[in-house]
Amino acid sequence: MKNPDNVIEVEHLYKKFTRSLKRSLFYGLSDVTRNMLGTNYDQGKLRKGEFWSLEDINFTLKKGEALGIIGQNGSGKTTLLRIINGIFPPDKGEVRVKGKIGALIAVGAGFHPHMTGRENIYLNGTILGMTKEDIEREYENIINFADIGDFIDAPVATYSSGMTIRLGFSIAIHSKPEILLADEVLAVGDLGFALKCYRKIAEYRESGGSIILVSHGLQLIRNTCKEVLWIDKGVTKEYGDAQSVCDHYEKFILEKDSKNTEGMGSIIHTDDKVRITGVEFFNTETKNKEVKVGDPLTIRINFDSQRKINKPIFTVSLSNPENIQVISNYTNFDGFPIDSLEGKGYLDFKVDKLSLKASEYKCTITLTENNDINNHLEWHDKAYNFRVDSNGTISYGLVTPFPQWDLKLEK
Amino acid sequence: MSNITIYTPNERSKTGLFETWGIMIRNIINSRDLIYQLFKRDFFMSYKKSFLGLTWIFISPIVGIISWVFLNYAGVLQPGSTGIPFPAYVLLSSSIWGLFMGFYGSAAGTLGAGSGFIMQVKYPHEVLLVKQTAQSLANFLVTFIVNIIVLLLFGVTPSWAIILFPIVILPLFFLGAGMGLFISVISVVATDLTNIFNILLGLVFYITPIVYIQSTIKSEFLTRLIELNPLTYLIGAVRDTIVYGKIDNVGSFILVSLLSFVFFMLTWRLFYVSEHKVIEKMF
Repeated sequence: MKNPDNVIEVEHLYKKFTRSLKRSLFYGLSDVTRNMLGTNYDQGKLRKGEFWSLEDINFTLKKGEALGIIGQNGSGKTTLLRIINGIFPPDKGEVRVKGKIGALIAVGAGFHPHMTGRENIYLNGTILGMTKEDIEREYENIINFADIGDFIDAPVATYSSGMTIRLGFSIAIHSKPEILLADEVLAVGDLGFALKCYRKIAEYRESGGSIILVSHGLQLIRNTCKEVLWIDKGVTKEYGDAQSVCDHYEKFILEKDSKNTEGMGSIIHTDDKVRITGVEFFNTETKNKEVKVGDPLTIRINFDSQRKINKPIFTVSLSNPENIQVISNYTNFDGFPIDSLEGKGYLDFKVDKLSLKASEYKCTITLTENNDINNHLEWHDKAYNFRVDSNGTISYGLVTPFPQWDLKLEK
Repeated sequence: MSNITIYTPNERSKTGLFETWGIMIRNIINSRDLIYQLFKRDFFMSYKKSFLGLTWIFISPIVGIISWVFLNYAGVLQPGSTGIPFPAYVLLSSSIWGLFMGFYGSAAGTLGAGSGFIMQVKYPHEVLLVKQTAQSLANFLVTFIVNIIVLLLFGVTPSWAIILFPIVILPLFFLGAGMGLFISVISVVATDLTNIFNILLGLVFYITPIVYIQSTIKSEFLTRLIELNPLTYLIGAVRDTIVYGKIDNVGSFILVSLLSFVFFMLTWRLFYVSEHKVIEKMF
């Protein structure tokens, strides 16, 4: 170890991969043959059809700390965990690990479906490197933590998937690893058990355990990890402070999503003489498609009507990427009735302090007449995009009401 | 102070030949619990879903014996002089062949036996070989006991040298497991080779004196093949030890045994350096 505080050091790590099955098998065969002859090792060069599934990965993990690994599907996260765990050898570079690793890559690995939960504790515990004495000592704790009642004496085949995970996780965490590799495991199971797992992991870290957490749940990563490694297509995109890397990752994903869906909205006109000519977003005074949480926001609806519209109603709706309508406001319901409208002009929708969560939003604008919300003249469905920036705030709900917190203690 | 493990490319290929064996033997000794647990899982559990349960272990050898006895009385088999009733000879020989195939088959299944968690958990895979072998030995022992009872019924009393049985089967293990380990690694990347190998082994059965006696073969070519076949000596030695308490051709037996041992050690090393590389291909 270059630094005695480190429990994991990964230096210039490379790993090859082949997408073609036949070619992969052929290379496997040639590697075996070369090993057999004992000469001419694989020099870590790419052969035809191969590419780097991990390329020049570097990071360290200190004792008692947590590192998050994020990235889209297929970016190489699980491969990286397998190399650290020693299941796959690296093709180039070096990995140094201090202490016993416990991997929560697939909990309950090796369970035999016809054996009871109790019997499987011995089997799985042994697979995870526990001695008979270790298992006997932790036996009651494992059963209590899994909390699956009488099912513990039934064959595992009769378990629900949630129960299997409970038992598997319980065995894994009680196998007392010094470094825990957790790959998306906490995303499963019911809420009660998930909370129990978080507490257990917190307890584990207080007792000096280190953890590498792979997850798509950025909340969990932000809460648990001090540092984050972001891998994109096998290459380190960013490595450093958890909050800022997560922010950048979130932005990256949102931009990618909005690129995919830009122009996906539909605009429906029902009257040739009436047009909503454009929608603009203002942040304070400047026109900007990006607004910060807590800042003022103005949505300006430009219109041009060549005839008189009687009792028009404008609506403004915002939908988040999960397609949930976060707000939907009507001029008439908001106490702003418009008697009639003709010619060019604009209508402003003004907010003093934007309370929406940082995300990408799609804006829907409609215009109806005769005080009837179904009598549409214009319907611009999710036709305008804008983004809300986190501005350094952390909030997990859809909106933040900017609350004032107050603490009083009873004497 | 915790141990530091370092993973680098081709590290296993760089370990010395003798070091490899040391590492693997140490791993096996350290993983006794794991071997026992896996053995328990795979041996007893395979019968858990059947009503007859472990009785099945007895059923198949008994059926096998009945068929050989039937063939004998039907006069299909033309025995030479064996000193023991011919069905007893065939029975004993074929059960030893079965033992050899068991060693081969269980070693060939080494990597396959770990599938399910080989990609999830790190553990020394050589324990799978031990577990597989233990499993085939356990199966064999049951058959063997049945066979000995049948031998007694035929009026053949095994020689006292039967206590040497565990030693004389060792070369069979080395040859069978050596071939099996090789196939275990190869089968992940090239199923074709495995199939070819299995067909060849089926042919080897006929150039080993099992269902006939070597001295009755007239063809010079066949005799030559039989003499070149290492299993002729290895299987013959086990049979002779049980029946006569002595081994014909001791010289050849010892030579073939030594070669089998060297072969096994080399394939074991091959397994150690290549299993890593092929595991990635186990999808």
